[in-house]
Amino acid sequence: MPRQRDYDDGDVEPEEEEEDVYEEEDVYEEEEEEDDHRGKSGRKRRRSDFIDDVAEEDDDEEEDDDDEDYGGGGGGGRRRPKRRTGSEFFDLEAAVDSDEDEEEEEGEDDFIVDGGAEIPDEDGARREYRHRMLPHDDQEEDLEELTRSIQQRYARSAHVEYDEEATDVEQQALLPSVRDPKLWIVKCGIGHEREVAVCLMQKAIDRGSELQIRSVVALDHLQGYIYIEADKEAHVREACKGMRSIYAQKVTLVPIKEMTDVLSVESKAVDLTRDTWVRMKTGTYKGDLAKVVDVYYDTQRVTVKLIPRIDLQALSNKLEGREVQKKKAFIPPPRFMNIDEAREMNIRVERKRHQSGDYFENIGGMLFKDGFLYKTVAMKSISTMNVQPSFDELEKFRQPGEGGDGDMASLSTLFSNRKKGHFMKGDRVIVVKGDLKNLKGCVEKVEENTVHIRPSVKELQDTLAVSDKELCKYFEPGNHVKVISGSSEGATGMVVSVEGHVVNLVSDTTKELLRVFADNVVESSEVTSGLTRIGEYELHDLVILDNKSFGVIIRVDSEAFQVLKGVPDRPEVALVRLREIKGKIEKKGNAQDRFKNQLAVKDVVKVLEGPCKGKQGPVEHIFRGIVFIYDRHHLEHAGYICAKTQSCVLIGGSRANGDRNGNPFSSRFANLRTPPRAPQSPTRSFRGGPPMSYGRGHRGGRGHDALIGADVKIRLGPFKGCKGRVKDIKGTSVRVELEAQMKVVTVDRNHIADNVNVTTPFREPSRYGLGSETPSHPSRTPLHPFMTPMRDPGATPIHDGMRTPMRDRAWNSMSPPRDNWEEGNPASWGSSPQYQPSSPRSRAYEAPTPGSGWTNTPSGNYSDAGTPRDNGSAYANAPSPYLPSTPGGQPPMTPSSAYIPGTPGGQPMTPGSGGLDMMSPVGGGDTEGPWLLPDILVNVRKSNDDTVTGVVHDVLADGSCSVGLGSSGNGDTIIVHPTEIEIVVPKKSDKIKIMGGPQRGATGKLIGVDGTDGIVKVDDTLDVKILDMVLLAKLAHA
Amino acid sequence: MGSQQAAQIPTSFGHELRACLRCRLVKTYDQFRESGCENCPFFKMDEDYERVGDCTTSNFTGLISVMDPTRSWAARWLRIARSVPGCYTLAVSEALPEDLQNLCQDERIPYNPPKRI
Repeated sequence: MPRQRDYDDGDVEPEEEEEDVYEEEDVYEEEEEEDDHRGKSGRKRRRSDFIDDVAEEDDDEEEDDDDEDYGGGGGGGRRRPKRRTGSEFFDLEAAVDSDEDEEEEEGEDDFIVDGGAEIPDEDGARREYRHRMLPHDDQEEDLEELTRSIQQRYARSAHVEYDEEATDVEQQALLPSVRDPKLWIVKCGIGHEREVAVCLMQKAIDRGSELQIRSVVALDHLQGYIYIEADKEAHVREACKGMRSIYAQKVTLVPIKEMTDVLSVESKAVDLTRDTWVRMKTGTYKGDLAKVVDVYYDTQRVTVKLIPRIDLQALSNKLEGREVQKKKAFIPPPRFMNIDEAREMNIRVERKRHQSGDYFENIGGMLFKDGFLYKTVAMKSISTMNVQPSFDELEKFRQPGEGGDGDMASLSTLFSNRKKGHFMKGDRVIVVKGDLKNLKGCVEKVEENTVHIRPSVKELQDTLAVSDKELCKYFEPGNHVKVISGSSEGATGMVVSVEGHVVNLVSDTTKELLRVFADNVVESSEVTSGLTRIGEYELHDLVILDNKSFGVIIRVDSEAFQVLKGVPDRPEVALVRLREIKGKIEKKGNAQDRFKNQLAVKDVVKVLEGPCKGKQGPVEHIFRGIVFIYDRHHLEHAGYICAKTQSCVLIGGSRANGDRNGNPFSSRFANLRTPPRAPQSPTRSFRGGPPMSYGRGHRGGRGHDALIGADVKIRLGPFKGCKGRVKDIKGTSVRVELEAQMKVVTVDRNHIADNVNVTTPFREPSRYGLGSETPSHPSRTPLHPFMTPMRDPGATPIHDGMRTPMRDRAWNSMSPPRDNWEEGNPASWGSSPQYQPSSPRSRAYEAPTPGSGWTNTPSGNYSDAGTPRDNGSAYANAPSPYLPSTPGGQPPMTPSSAYIPGTPGGQPMTPGSGGLDMMSPVGGGDTEGPWLLPDILVNVRKSNDDTVTGVVHDVLADGSCSVGLGSSGNGDTIIVHPTEIEIVVPKKSDKIKIMGGPQRGATGKLIGVDGTDGIVKVDDTLDVKILDMVLLAKLAHA
Repeated sequence: MGSQQAAQIPTSFGHELRACLRCRLVKTYDQFRESGCENCPFFKMDEDYERVGDCTTSNFTGLISVMDPTRSWAARWLRIARSVPGCYTLAVSEALPEDLQNLCQDERIPYNPPKRI
């Protein structure tokens, strides 16, 4: 309190002036009232001071504030009224608890001195007081006006209490009320806002009190308008009269609620100082990080330093006056200016001393220093808010010669960008500055800018208060963390090392080393992938960058991509922004490997030379003679390897070149016919001329016209919308086997689209039996439906062409999947999508030549199925998770083991037909049997399309079944060929028998149907399983 | 009007305008140099030209001409109700240098740093 009083005393001088002014004003009733009131409130204060002096008990902060408030101006008047009223006694008596509540105080004052403006009756009494107090007041006014003026004064009195020292809470008390003057918005000349405000000020001074406006506000961000504060609109109009640049035709009132918004500009004030990180908003450098070097507030400009994006060649052309290319197709990548290089290109470089005393290299008006471009731009063209430089950017910025201090500067910027609540209780932190540097500890408590930490050093028991600017989060190797901001936001990983405030972590998804600021990391057990897409570009997309380069996106940061460029000699990774990407390359290119084998996407290749020699994996992209191979054992670049197609060799045969292994001779012919440079894509080979021109039969032509075997969709004509497989091509017409109708139709070639979505819709199981009868149908293999169309042609002939020496090809093709399989990593098969559609597996299946191998090999897989037909169920069962776990004792030759685990997803769509189809070429209908089991309800088809319900009693060795007719199987027993049998599809709550998979033979109850899946409660185990409906047959004795 | 002697009114409206870091009065650099700040005479800007640079800034936002500070809501809201009439700014974006803050303290003049800093 003593300090307080000192302050009051010290403030007396300016107050005295004010007081004088008040006395002058006293001639005006209103002003006088004002003054009177001030005197009153001043006295009030005085009284409280007095109490403080005497009692010194209620010395709380609130009082301090109040007193300070009054130090400003009211203080001058406080002694006088106190003396004059002579009401010390009352004051003393009444003031015991008054200072706590302003309202109460008012009321009290009403009682004692101040008549309470809202009660006019008392006004007379108050006036009497006033007469005593202010003897020179002789102007009488009528009561009404007086009342009004008092009300006005009273309305303000509560506010005037607060002044400059108010806190935020008290600011609320200053909110405008209805009694306050209003704000009016008035149009003015654009760019003349300040001028108008100043001119009105001048006018107000010249005219004295004539001008009744209170203030004029010109906002920087609001062009063409000013606000005028006045009680009445008429006052505004009056003030605007005769003013240049003010268009007062329309004067609009600002609603009270919006009045504070007008004056709330603090948030817009930005602190731009040296070394602040900013981003450029416009031009070539849009989005680039820049560092403020100098700020010129007067001109509203800043000098920033940037990493130049300068095309020296273009610059040289320009400077020499040669023709400048107008097209600004691409923005040069950021690169430090190399003065020597510029000189070599005969670009004139001047070394000049700048006003600041530093030397700059001046090239064509641009200033460079240490490789950086120093650019002076308008403040408006930089963005300063929420600039979070990424680690890479800062790293780059630091590059030439800027050592520790740059680091420090960036650190301080980073810290200043910290959000509130950056540290939380329990965070592990390390002191990075000051005497306690490197002290580790745990956050105990967080205050505004101070963090209390408990040091981890045993000797230090107490918590220490440290400025948050000196702290940094601390992690230890082995911590699992999540990146919460910055370019790798969202990624998770494990900390492998910590360098100061930089944490190195291995990302969970990409297995890459990420360098991030400790500030941007929190401990977390979460595992996420982070960002995989910006705009239309996604991770692993092949994109074209500028005219020359292209690459695969191997990482997606929050604002940029990392692209593995298509440069085969060495892995080259570029960081590119969205705008630097010209487009995505969707086209699935073809190419030839070293041995002129056709390569297509998804083919497995091995790199024969170059830095990645020996690596192998499926081809992900082919473009301009470059392949991008995905090798999951390759830990760099997200597993991507870039190689020349000529450096690769196809492993296991290409789908796109089905003849190669199957018929080496035709393959050679094909190569002779096909220009080696032109990749043989299906469409292209078509355009090149129908294969029929070779005069071969339609079968022979198949291998060459890629369209044959392709899944197509009919776009026009009576079969519009139908999907099917191309069976044959004759001239411009195509014979398509419709999927849904089991018939072959002839359509015009132009009426089909061959890029259909390969998922085949669910089909009635009843079709399956029928399907096997269609002679053309057998050519389908169960795996085909989910292959890309272009791959199919290779596969198709295999079936039909069983007569060609299949074996050699089959074994070849098997090798890649087998290799991997034998690594004992079945799970990876299921999980790595690259392998799923991979062709070799299906061929592996086909590998057994008809007759001999067929019956023996597959059966080995399933001990419970003694016949090869069980494969049918195996196929159908592919999605079952149990299958992959069974391969253990498989003979290495069992092909089915290779593909089953790899075929989830697509397979279940057409399992039944697949199962039947693939049987057909082998043993015809008589291999159908094992699919069936005793006791299931079936429909037996008679010759004349009638069907009779029956129950399978027994499955005979040749595959035929003995079926008891009738729904309970009590009728005649007949021997039926399995092709004539159709399983009765169970309905919900039917008893069922599982026809395939590891639980083949088990019975259960169908408790629900979900699309193609049936939810089955197995009787024995009471487990609930989700099985493909195709595997379920209705049990006869249900 | 006329209740108080008004401060000098800026003679221009351009970039040479500066605002007092304590009271936010806006004048031109020359005006500050010649006659100091009407609200903050203790800065003695008119005696020491270098003080002008220290005590004022060109980094401010918005302009308000206050004709009648005691009766203006805007002035009260901006806490310049006790300042002399004149042209002020809505907000300055810099804080007073520390030595001058100390000076304020010595003179027992309240100083409120801008909120953003």
